[in-house]
Amino acid sequence: MKKGKMLILLAVVTGFFLFCGSITNSAIVPAAVENFTLNDYNKVEHSLTDYKDANAIVIIFIATQCPVSNAYNARMEQLYLEYKDKGVAFLGINSNKTEGIDEIKEHAKEKGLTFTILKDEGNVVADMFDASHTPEAYVLSSNDFKILYNGRIDNSRDESEISSQDLRIALDEILNGKTVGNPETKAFGCSIKRI
Amino acid sequence: MKSFIIIILFITAGLIFPVEPVLNYIHPGKDQSIKEITVKKLQEIINNRDGKPLLINIWATWCEPCREEFPDLVKINNEYGNKLEVIGISVDFPEQADSLIVPFLEEQNAKFTIYVLNVPEPEDFINLLNKKWGGEIPATFIFDKKGVQKKFLFGKQSYEKLVNSISEVTK
Repeated sequence: MKKGKMLILLAVVTGFFLFCGSITNSAIVPAAVENFTLNDYNKVEHSLTDYKDANAIVIIFIATQCPVSNAYNARMEQLYLEYKDKGVAFLGINSNKTEGIDEIKEHAKEKGLTFTILKDEGNVVADMFDASHTPEAYVLSSNDFKILYNGRIDNSRDESEISSQDLRIALDEILNGKTVGNPETKAFGCSIKRI
Repeated sequence: MKSFIIIILFITAGLIFPVEPVLNYIHPGKDQSIKEITVKKLQEIINNRDGKPLLINIWATWCEPCREEFPDLVKINNEYGNKLEVIGISVDFPEQADSLIVPFLEEQNAKFTIYVLNVPEPEDFINLLNKKWGGEIPATFIFDKKGVQKKFLFGKQSYEKLVNSISEVTK
């Protein structure tokens, strides 16, 4: 076989296996959510429609007492500070029945979380998203609330072990007008304490 | 040219079959030792049933509902251990095995096999256990004697719920 043909064959085989590898991660087509209204910890109402002019809406289900969620406090704040200047709205939601509004406010102050944190009484919004744990992130399109990304912030609780900054990658793809390449990711977290 | 092709083949093989770290670390406790587990090892455990159903509980010392559920798993192992293999897989950091996991197990008087997860990509492990599982813990998976998953229970379970689920699989 000529060298040229050999290289083409090799490229085709390589491409085939790489393609097979990607489809085993069976991405689920993201759905959309309805508009909702929740109070933040200062009892100010926020609706998704308030953010219709944003380039995207990030929602992260968080907790005050979950060690995994707490391990991400600084990373969430950093993402918020970086992406708010790029027109991305950023909302934390606490759906845990065991964590009240005063505790959420105190926790945010203590941990330096300056993004909006909403209280989801009765875990109505967590149920709407089918959110299961903290921290769990969603990125929505601001015009039709389609879920463009769902999953983890990155792939390690230990910052020194991170090899994939999944939420950041998804946001960059959205801001660049691209389809999110990996719209669904997973990581361990604390189950949301529902009523 | 030949060496170029060999390099390409190696790169391709690496992408298709990512190498898992070889783990042999054992964290000894008084009544319990903990071995690190990988995705490959988990698959072997599920496959090698030897005629016995399997219950896998995923937990961590930092997870309060896991800690609350744990005494029921100890009880279940004591009561059903002769006809059901019970294993726990902690998702604490492996380096916390001696400081956190072993003391907790000794306090619980746990006699069943405990592993600590050590994988570069948690998603592979989560998807192997159940593609519908988002990663919340505790989570419990029950396999029949052929290694087929029959029950997946997400969140803290009551003793009664665990026993009923086991009974449905072992009947």
